[in-house]
Amino acid sequence: MSLKLSEPIQPLLEFMERSPRLVIWFAILSALILLAAYALLASLVTSMEILEFSIKIPWATMIATYIFLVAVGSGLCIINALGSVFGMQRYEMMTRRMAFLSLTTILFGMLCIVMHLGHPERMPIYNAISPNFRSAISWMGLLYSVYMAVVVVELWLLNRGDLVIRTERSEGWTKKVLQLLTLEKLRGTRFGPVLEDPRLPRLIALLAFVSGASALSMLGSVFAHSESRLLWYGPYYPVYFLVSAIFSGFAFLLAVTIITYRVKNEDIFPGLKAVIFEMAQVLAVVLAVGFLLMIFRLAAGLLDPASRAPAMLLLNGPFRLGFWGFEVVLMTVIPIFVLIWAAEAKSLNGVLTGSLICLIGTFVMRYDFVVAGQVYPNIPQGLPSYWPTIMEVFLIIGVFGAFLLTYTLGEKFLSLKEEMSNHETR
Amino acid sequence: MEKPPAKIDRRRFLKLIAGAPLAAALGSVTVADADTLRYGKLVDAMRCIGCKRCMSACKRWNNQRVERDELITDRNTQLTANNYTVVNLRTDGKNRAKRGYVPWSCQHCIEPACVGVCPVTAIKKLSNGPVVINEKKCIGCRYCFQACPWKVPQFDFEKRVTRKCHLCYNRTLLNYQKPACVAACPVGALAFDYKHEIIQEAHRRVERLKTPSYIMGLTEAGGTDLITILPAEPSDLGLIAAPKKVINHNLDKIRVTASGILAASVIAGVMYVYAQMTRDRDEEYNEPKAE
Repeated sequence: MSLKLSEPIQPLLEFMERSPRLVIWFAILSALILLAAYALLASLVTSMEILEFSIKIPWATMIATYIFLVAVGSGLCIINALGSVFGMQRYEMMTRRMAFLSLTTILFGMLCIVMHLGHPERMPIYNAISPNFRSAISWMGLLYSVYMAVVVVELWLLNRGDLVIRTERSEGWTKKVLQLLTLEKLRGTRFGPVLEDPRLPRLIALLAFVSGASALSMLGSVFAHSESRLLWYGPYYPVYFLVSAIFSGFAFLLAVTIITYRVKNEDIFPGLKAVIFEMAQVLAVVLAVGFLLMIFRLAAGLLDPASRAPAMLLLNGPFRLGFWGFEVVLMTVIPIFVLIWAAEAKSLNGVLTGSLICLIGTFVMRYDFVVAGQVYPNIPQGLPSYWPTIMEVFLIIGVFGAFLLTYTLGEKFLSLKEEMSNHETR
Repeated sequence: MEKPPAKIDRRRFLKLIAGAPLAAALGSVTVADADTLRYGKLVDAMRCIGCKRCMSACKRWNNQRVERDELITDRNTQLTANNYTVVNLRTDGKNRAKRGYVPWSCQHCIEPACVGVCPVTAIKKLSNGPVVINEKKCIGCRYCFQACPWKVPQFDFEKRVTRKCHLCYNRTLLNYQKPACVAACPVGALAFDYKHEIIQEAHRRVERLKTPSYIMGLTEAGGTDLITILPAEPSDLGLIAAPKKVINHNLDKIRVTASGILAASVIAGVMYVYAQMTRDRDEEYNEPKAE
């Protein structure tokens, strides 16, 4: 009797025996997602207030997480263009990983926004029926939708060859589904040559680059259009968003790639190692450019009497620890030195450390940017204070958990692994 | 202080004639010349006695709950989704002896920043003055709160939409009544009339006053349909002082967006140069494979 009961779950038991580490990993991530589900359900049943501590700071940690994830995704889109648009063959070997990471980070970033909105179900309807073309949010939504659709096509084109091989090896329903995914039936029709055209992936990559970079610049404009928020307002932030997205994208890609190889106990082949060290050098340069932009922004803020007060919030106000400790030291100064040293000493651990430190600093920078921007000017009865609620924290770790779960599944079922000959197969 | 009679010269007449079909086609009449068509509300803080009957009437008309003690005269209250209008005792920072009750609500800007940023056009400036949020359309993104120079729109955590004063458009438009707050004011601190009448009345009241005062709403945020007579400058009373120009002007938005597009183009150029300059490295990577 007991043998019969265990039959349906036999493959699962075998999987658990085969890779217990993966099972534990999935269990942890599922627990994190369940916590987020609990927070979401609680907010639906009781009131949304449990997710927002301060009524005077309506954009808080959820928005900071959204910007962090979406900027990483857009940064990856820009870096990806180096290989797939500008023809750098050594970068092209990481195209699959970059495209997949870009899509998933933006998708989970969007999830943060969906959970932050009062009525997310109305967004697609009224964005389609009555969009406001004077609103940066409207443009941003439109451009990111286009970008995600284009990246899905790009990923499909990159994985089509593998799907064809899998179709030949599989049987039954799996084969039928895979045949549908590979659009095998189009072979021989007039669309067949279009799909086989070697220029198509480059065209799609170009579309992805244009829509991704525009969407990112528009994300900066969402904040920069707010004339009432002196810290955000002006032509500076669309520019800084682009630069900061590039360095956070580089840091994210380097960290994820090295960790993936370490976890899988696989050796990084010399060609990829060389690209990683080159990327570390480029990351250090972009961080330096970002640092110069930051100095320019603060200098401009201090010289202008109207925006001196919000600039002082960062320099010598309640956000000074976040600014000096995280934005200057952790996000910029330490990673620059660590990455330059690691690239010279050919140390992967150094690159990993520099990238992770940079990412931590970037997250705090995004948080400070969002929260400090709303503190001044505000109801002038003292500065409003804000600290994330436990439910907000649950939601955010749930989003990161869901992202890691998706990445693990993608790593397992899609061929994201770097190959030297990737560009030649296309 | 009499307002000079409006002069229509030939050029202005032609401009109005030419613009009329376009304005009709777009369905918007947010033109400064439409002053005579638009209503305005006068808030005279010099007359206000802080009885909060306006708050009470507002809540009754809008079916909002009354929180404990919030209608007590000296109790400090803030704008919330449940409080479209508040009355607070304010002290002049430069002269502590100068104190007065100041009613506060949406200023109903002539060119509202909130209307320009709402991604789903849930906020509209009605042709006769009020700025109104369509709660059935609002997605609850709170971008209007970020754009408003006075931080007026408030999020309702239960209904999950943003709410604010709508100048009782459902009374004034449909029933030809005064807004609930104006009808309830026992001392004439609030008045409702055509906009140009309201401005004239504000100037008349200020002239009659013996103490210095300040008229807010003539130039703030490009002009508002709420004209407030204050005992001192807004910043001295602890109120947010909005800039004296249109907030979030379309040209400003284009300028800011263009900077991002320009930067993206420069980045694309740098990437191209980087790809060209390091092309020989690609060959180095390919060599071992060729072997």
